[in-house]
Amino acid sequence: MSVATRPATAGQADDVGIGVASRSRSVWRGPGLRRERRHGYYFLAPALLLTVALIALPLARAFWTSLQRTRGLRSDFTGLDNYLYIFTSTQFWDSLRISVIFTAVCVFFHMLVGLGLALLLKRAVFARTLFRVGFLAPWIVAPSIGAIIWVWLLEPQFGVVNYMLSGIGLVDRYQAWLGTPSLALASVIIVDIWRGTPFVMLLLLAGLQGIPKDQYEAAAMDGATAWQQFRFVTLPNLRYLLIVSSTLDLIYTIRHFDIIAVMTGGGPIDATEVLPVLIYNTAFTQNNFGRASAIGIVLLGIILLFSIFYLRAMRLGKARED
Amino acid sequence: MTYAKQLKMPGTALVLCALLAPGAMAQDKVTLQWQATALSETQYEPIWKEMVAAFEAKNPNVKIQPVIVPRKDNWTKFVTAAQAQQAPCVASVPVPTAAFNGYLRPLNEMLDAEPAEYKSVWTENGLKALTFEDELYGLPFYAGIYGEIYNAGLVKKAGLDPNNLPETWADYLDWTKRLTGADQWGTAVLAGPTDTTMRVLLSWIYSNGGKAFNDELTEATFAKDPKSLEAIKFYIDLATKHKVTAPAPATLNYNEQTILFAQQKIATMRNAYWGIAKVLSDNPGLKDEIVVGAPPANAPDARTVATVTAMSISSSCAHPKEAWEFIKFMTEPQWAVKMVSASNWMPMRGDVAKDPAVASNQVVQKFLEMGSTALTIPLPTPAWEQIANKDVVAAVQMALEHPDQVEAIFKELDAQVTARLQEK
Amino acid sequence: MKTPVHIRMIETVALLIALAIMLFPIYWMVNTALKPAAEVFQSPPSFFSANWSLDAFRTLFETRPIGRYFLNSFIVAGGTTVLSLALASLAAYGLTRFSMRIEGLVILALLFIKMLPEALLVVPFYQLVADVGLLNSYVALILVYSSFALPFAVWMLIGFFRVIPRELDEAGIMDGATRLQTFRLVVLPLARPGIVAVAMFTFLTAWNAYLWALVLTTDPDMYVLPVGIATMKGEYQVQWNELMAAAVVAVLPVVAIYSVLERHLVAGITAGAVKG
Repeated sequence: MSVATRPATAGQADDVGIGVASRSRSVWRGPGLRRERRHGYYFLAPALLLTVALIALPLARAFWTSLQRTRGLRSDFTGLDNYLYIFTSTQFWDSLRISVIFTAVCVFFHMLVGLGLALLLKRAVFARTLFRVGFLAPWIVAPSIGAIIWVWLLEPQFGVVNYMLSGIGLVDRYQAWLGTPSLALASVIIVDIWRGTPFVMLLLLAGLQGIPKDQYEAAAMDGATAWQQFRFVTLPNLRYLLIVSSTLDLIYTIRHFDIIAVMTGGGPIDATEVLPVLIYNTAFTQNNFGRASAIGIVLLGIILLFSIFYLRAMRLGKARED
Repeated sequence: MTYAKQLKMPGTALVLCALLAPGAMAQDKVTLQWQATALSETQYEPIWKEMVAAFEAKNPNVKIQPVIVPRKDNWTKFVTAAQAQQAPCVASVPVPTAAFNGYLRPLNEMLDAEPAEYKSVWTENGLKALTFEDELYGLPFYAGIYGEIYNAGLVKKAGLDPNNLPETWADYLDWTKRLTGADQWGTAVLAGPTDTTMRVLLSWIYSNGGKAFNDELTEATFAKDPKSLEAIKFYIDLATKHKVTAPAPATLNYNEQTILFAQQKIATMRNAYWGIAKVLSDNPGLKDEIVVGAPPANAPDARTVATVTAMSISSSCAHPKEAWEFIKFMTEPQWAVKMVSASNWMPMRGDVAKDPAVASNQVVQKFLEMGSTALTIPLPTPAWEQIANKDVVAAVQMALEHPDQVEAIFKELDAQVTARLQEK
Repeated sequence: MKTPVHIRMIETVALLIALAIMLFPIYWMVNTALKPAAEVFQSPPSFFSANWSLDAFRTLFETRPIGRYFLNSFIVAGGTTVLSLALASLAAYGLTRFSMRIEGLVILALLFIKMLPEALLVVPFYQLVADVGLLNSYVALILVYSSFALPFAVWMLIGFFRVIPRELDEAGIMDGATRLQTFRLVVLPLARPGIVAVAMFTFLTAWNAYLWALVLTTDPDMYVLPVGIATMKGEYQVQWNELMAAAVVAVLPVVAIYSVLERHLVAGITAGAVKG
């Protein structure tokens, strides 16, 4: 199926890709290069205009706010005071630690379970559409709504999870999933694994379908076992996609807000207060916009760092393939 | 302040449209936006719709535009708009915090311009709760007075007498022990992430004659005041030592507590009159089974908590005169009486309490009696929201996790809250 | 290459178990929506009930302007999809067809937008929209959502457009077509599988977004589904069956769209963006 729907003229595999392309290949050498380039800007202009107007301006304003000491409508310029405060407050470091745990565990399981499901799905022989849509469903549900469903599932008294798990003796009858610090973090992680796995699965499934069949056939002819086929055919072919999807997922997960905001609001005793939730609580419970903006800018910096790693990894990957 | 509704058809014209953004439509009518969580309550909906229609009929030049808002996002939505000087003219928000941030308009001048007899209908307690740095920032919309609500059916089943409710802590402990059984508990300790947790805790502290703050509101005394600490320990012990409370307290808020009560999982609850409305809407079968008493006391000067919900005018409101008329109108006795009966919201006006429909309601009178000596919250500090929604919640949750360290935990809370109170 | 029967069996069973776990919360949502209010808190909970009915849905549609929320969501998500795709495909074409020196920079900038924490921008965004007088408008929501949907759309479309050989454009230009015509008549049709996939992503993002819609609309007539549903959690009543019924209403159309177009999704991604 995958082969049939691809444009018949699909180019070489190495001519395709997201991310930064090596420039030498993307130059179209022809007459009137400069004029052509100007045309390129025309095509780009509408998207850039919207982006600048709607992202750059508010972002600049947020940065300006981060340099202020705000009290509602009043504000005084205080330079880097907010940043100094953040870096010396245990609350920020606790929150960062929780963010790192949350993100690392979630992304790891998104990738692991996503890959497993994709491998199984690719080999499924019947009801493929049913399976695929079924597995995508948790990702289709809005996170704000999915979280409400889970709050209801995990309700200590009337929730079905406690009923089932205590029935087989795994937990206490009235386990307080969202009311116990360690369990609350585990719970929101499980919910995020539920929500985030399908997307990774989808990308990897698409990747698996793009692997030419003849590579497997050749490997089988050489007497490769199933594991060896996975190790030497599947994984190398998926390598690039694994990097892309884990990075996308990482960016998404570290700034994810809806699930934790609805399920715990950062509690109990700040056990699930990841950075985006800390920003929200600082802005709207403490009413300290300056500090909230500063945390936001710091979070942005952290994510940027990750992305630089990612871009380097990708460039390295490309260099190796060339 | 309405903006023309935009094109309903999406498409390429959208970009153009953004550039040609229309301003406010020219019109003679004054439009007042009105934001309150109460608007999304089903019981109140018919009342406010009738009230708005009556107000608009009386003031043909004013149009009221209700802003219905999800309860947990009320403050977020208000603050976001207020920061852009676009806050709804009339809003129900936490007064001290909003006033401190400059979002609200002082109302003293307007109230002073009213005839003396109008001023006299408001109880002093009610107005005091809405005063911040000597300025009044709202009119009391309704109040919640915290009492102890019992399920008479369960009480009788346990061999106790619902006409003879416990008046002391010792009696109360005895009751809750006897009301705890298979899949049923005496009461619930609340430690969920909303300010209900603090309201209930304060009601316990006050029932011991304790104090959580000093009079100047410069210091927190949860642990420093021995009576307060004693009450906190007793309250936490109900859950950790005596185990007479529903499990998973850290997930229990107002809503969960009333569900447990309606499902007859708990036999008593510390709640305001509106809790009864909620219980009866969940389980109408309990209609004749509900008995109300004052919170059991452990000191002669025991009092309880009353929360005051305000209606305020935002500082950016372009039509304060009309907004004031609207606030006055919505708090008039004819509506307040309906609010008492439909939503179980307690009135804060003397003339409403004397209204026959209110005066003949025994349960309401019981609450009003408790209310006459109740201590009102919020207290006038800009940090109130942070203290009530976060600091105290975390302390109670921690105390439940580490019952042997209650004193240390609340000492820590005292230090933290005192720092907030003194922050300039 | 034959797989032994018993392995096939194990694989199928594993898939079915995984599917059951993933779908259980959704099943429970539907189950709760179908129960009468009295049965919601029944202990032990019932996994299915003889009393299943559509009453909660009926009450929902009678007491709440769910139809209106639905329409708003549809207009906003549809508008966002159309606008994002229009801008993104132009941009992706520009980036892949001309030797743009800023290509790397643009892609970086787009990635950067995906990283912005929402809570950081709530207040500045509101100020901007209020300043230009666009509160309570579809336009504001569509523009805001589009600005957040654009990066991913451009990013993916670049992948699709790269696969389409330049020689085709050149042939078009030789035949006397303008750049725009070549884009429209040659490149777009070839990129269709990718465009369908990107459209599905964008629609879903806009359909599910909550925070922006919450602050940028104040008129209940303009509320989208997630905001309208959130107003159902009142002080007095959380009717779980009605709340879950509303959730079903919000989820159903997207599931339907995905069921019908699912093939395009995987095929689209396969064709374009995933190869390195």
